[in-house]
Amino acid sequence: MKYQCENHQKCMKMIQAVLDGSASAEEVEHFKQNMDACMPCIETYKLEKSVKEAMQVKVEKKCCPEKLVLDIKAKIGLTLLLLGFIAIEVKLYHIFFSC
Amino acid sequence: MEEEDIVEVEVRYSEKEKYAVFDKEFMPHIDSMYNFAFRLTNDEDDANDLVQDTYLKAFRFINSFERGTNAKAWLFRILKNSFINDYRKKSKEPSKVDYQDVETTYNSTEDAEMDATTDLRTETVQDMIGDEVANALNSLPVDFRTVIILCDIEGFTYEEMAKILDIPIGTVRSRLHRARNLLKEKLKTYANSMGYKIDEAADEEEDF
Repeated sequence: MKYQCENHQKCMKMIQAVLDGSASAEEVEHFKQNMDACMPCIETYKLEKSVKEAMQVKVEKKCCPEKLVLDIKAKIGLTLLLLGFIAIEVKLYHIFFSC
Repeated sequence: MEEEDIVEVEVRYSEKEKYAVFDKEFMPHIDSMYNFAFRLTNDEDDANDLVQDTYLKAFRFINSFERGTNAKAWLFRILKNSFINDYRKKSKEPSKVDYQDVETTYNSTEDAEMDATTDLRTETVQDMIGDEVANALNSLPVDFRTVIILCDIEGFTYEEMAKILDIPIGTVRSRLHRARNLLKEKLKTYANSMGYKIDEAADEEEDF
């Protein structure tokens, strides 16, 4: 087990890429082969993982206000178009199934 | 995406298809878009305006979008450019720091910065509550905040981020690396001010 990492900056970028799912096949292989043998890298892995998880899980995700959705649809005329389709469908329903 | 980049080259969709693409491919991403806009501007009114402008622009240039391709990345790119071009100057965020300045600073002090961040404990991060983590994120300069939001909150790959931000993948990696170093520093400072134990020394003192 190594207790000093001479390439720590490089290793840190690689560990982040692995955690982000954007590492190359070579980096993933290097990570698998060497990860358990370097204490600073093991600590870095744990810390980077916890920071990433904190961002994913703990930061509140703001939802779009319903009014904004309606405003956007109204501005492009989508609401009007959908109402038009519904009106046509209702008319067709009455034509075909009313008698 | 600058407007000149999304000039329609051909009429791809009929009027009816335009609405169908807008509703089925664009609208499902509106919560992510709003969250991104809010995290960029730190203001609900600005986020509303930014999302609305983005969606109206997306509809206007809908023929530039190829159905079945990555609609989320396409929309995020429009939003990011709208933010830079239209909102950044008038944003209510108090302290604006230009990315180039920040990058230069952190390029020159990276080693020193690393010494300062390595003693942040995994357990401390795990113990922190959402508001504390969000405050640390919000305190980052907007360009660093952007890469962390895109990667960690929205789950974009480096390749997608490169397209959204219009930078090479290598720059995405470097910017993320520096953003995370700064974030850890902010988390450590914040944890310290809130009375969390932040390093092994604190444990040793407690044991003693």
